[in-house]
Amino acid sequence: MEKEYWRWPESKWTSSDIDWKDGDIISAGVDVGSVSSQAVVLIDGKLYSYSNFRTGSDSPESAQKVMDKAMEETGLSQDKIHYTVGTGYGRVNVPFAKRAITEIACHARGANFMYGPTVKTILDMGGQDCKAIHCDEKGKVTNFLMNDKCAAGTGRGMEVFADLLSVPIEDMGRLSFEVDEEPEPVSSTCVIFAKSEAVGLLRKGWAKEKVLAAYSSAMAHRVVELLERIKVEKDFAITGGIAKNEGVVKRIEAELKIKALEAKHDTQIAGALGGALFAKALIEKERGLR
Amino acid sequence: MMEKFKEWYEQRHAYAKEWKKKTGGKVVGYFCTYVPEEILYAADVLPVRILGSHEPQDVTEPHIFGMFCPFCRDCLAQGLQGRYDYLDGVMIAQSCLHIRQAYTSWKMHIPVDFSYYLPMPNNVQSKRALPYLTGELETFKEAVEKWTGKKISDEDLNKGIEAMNTSRQLTRDLYELRKQDNPPLTGLEAMYAVVASQMVDKRDYNAALQEILQKLPQRQIENGSKVRLMILGSENDDTEFVDMVESLGAMLVVDDHCTGSRYFWNQVNTNGNLLEAIASRYVERVPCPSKDWPERTRIEHILKLAKDWNVQGAIVIQQKFCDPHEIDIPSIIESLKSNGVPAQFLELDVTVPVGQFKTRVEAFLEMLSEEDLF
Repeated sequence: MEKEYWRWPESKWTSSDIDWKDGDIISAGVDVGSVSSQAVVLIDGKLYSYSNFRTGSDSPESAQKVMDKAMEETGLSQDKIHYTVGTGYGRVNVPFAKRAITEIACHARGANFMYGPTVKTILDMGGQDCKAIHCDEKGKVTNFLMNDKCAAGTGRGMEVFADLLSVPIEDMGRLSFEVDEEPEPVSSTCVIFAKSEAVGLLRKGWAKEKVLAAYSSAMAHRVVELLERIKVEKDFAITGGIAKNEGVVKRIEAELKIKALEAKHDTQIAGALGGALFAKALIEKERGLR
Repeated sequence: MMEKFKEWYEQRHAYAKEWKKKTGGKVVGYFCTYVPEEILYAADVLPVRILGSHEPQDVTEPHIFGMFCPFCRDCLAQGLQGRYDYLDGVMIAQSCLHIRQAYTSWKMHIPVDFSYYLPMPNNVQSKRALPYLTGELETFKEAVEKWTGKKISDEDLNKGIEAMNTSRQLTRDLYELRKQDNPPLTGLEAMYAVVASQMVDKRDYNAALQEILQKLPQRQIENGSKVRLMILGSENDDTEFVDMVESLGAMLVVDDHCTGSRYFWNQVNTNGNLLEAIASRYVERVPCPSKDWPERTRIEHILKLAKDWNVQGAIVIQQKFCDPHEIDIPSIIESLKSNGVPAQFLELDVTVPVGQFKTRVEAFLEMLSEEDLF
């Protein structure tokens, strides 16, 4: 079988210091995105476990699978979870979720937890869209912008380039800096047009590193435009899959002249994490605690 | 109770054909709400607004520049597809180039008996706008007289003004009810009403609305704790979009659209010369942004609507590539925000990406409420 360069490493993590059996409130968030799905479990508001993998064609099935994966080897089962919030494009297709909340609200809430209450601007670089979000110190959205219909500047574009250049997706960021000098960005950010343009550059004799640099900086330009429309306030954080691509992140930082905060956990889980935090608040509401 | 308007909106062509059969009168399709319908009613001609159908189509590409708005494209498509084959005439009053292109292409490719370009002045803030438009209305009246072969008397003009003014007053009464904490009608129903009023004989519309206004105050609809929103921007009769917004826990209570309040807000005051009175109404009406310059008078008006109808947020929506709106929108959003009304901006195409818009509107509503989750 041909190598699937686009395939990103799926993650799975469980806390070693928490025993879910001691938990009073067990809440979960499931984020069914257009490209990846994530599940997060919180025990009394503390991060207990998470997982992610590629979304399949069936949203309810992807939701169930990613949830099962997050609970794997923990002894935890669906019936023990008190409340689940669904988010992402497939938010209404999470069969076991009691409520759906948008990924915009969830990313802000999740980023507030991951990066701390000083985070004011969040750039979520998702599989097929991009969002620039402002929030307050509680992680409540105060303003946001989303890119229009096209998938420029998103994870899907990066996957297409991984395949085109035969570079494993997790090496793309590093390789994009292996150039003598930064080339002009590709002029088109539309995934399909950029791909045609890249094919032309390769034919002209450009090294793949140089093409990667040109594409990464085009992607950075595109999202910086979005950020400038909403205005970046410190502190600034990037969530989503592209946050793991230093080739894009460092170029965004250079354009904005602001460093993005670093995360301890997988940046793709921000949405599901926010969902799980909302789920906790909703249990407390049900129990009359708030 | 309000189904009649939806029916008229959906059966616009059947209605007009039936009207022709019943009255033996002529029907004129018009492209912009600056067209003085009073004069057409005075001549017993039925004016119907040409609007799109919100369906993908492939007939307008050779006729309309790629960066003109989807609305002008959708309007022209209706003509090219033969849906307005019953029209005896088409006309426009100058507003923007995009819709004018739809009109000129229509005139060129779809034969009609009568066509008219009314050069409505753009600088309505100049004191010379009124005498200019009065003169143009005189010329227009003569053209209609020549076409129909019938003189338009002052009595006829008064009849036309009466039909239009009554319809305006009744629709404002309808909007007044939306000020209530629990309005007896939805935003979607209000949209159907206004757009239907642009498509059917005002006398039919007035009779139907009069009857509804008797019963409406007693009507109870479940609005629970819905977020009160205003919607404003360019031409918008996208009922699917409005329905989607209202299904997410919002309630549209007022608007500033030419398919909404801008259409009926101002009355003709009949003092002295009737054509001058009509001209004065169109010069002084709540303007389209293509005419709201150098002063931006619309902003004050929008802020007042937001306050009087007690809105919590605003959806600012425009036709893609609509330059006049594009220029105004940043200052409108800024003014709304500084007056405590958060706004969400969206761009309309012939069809809307309901999935993505849903996410944005839902997130906007979450931003305006959900305090208890934090």
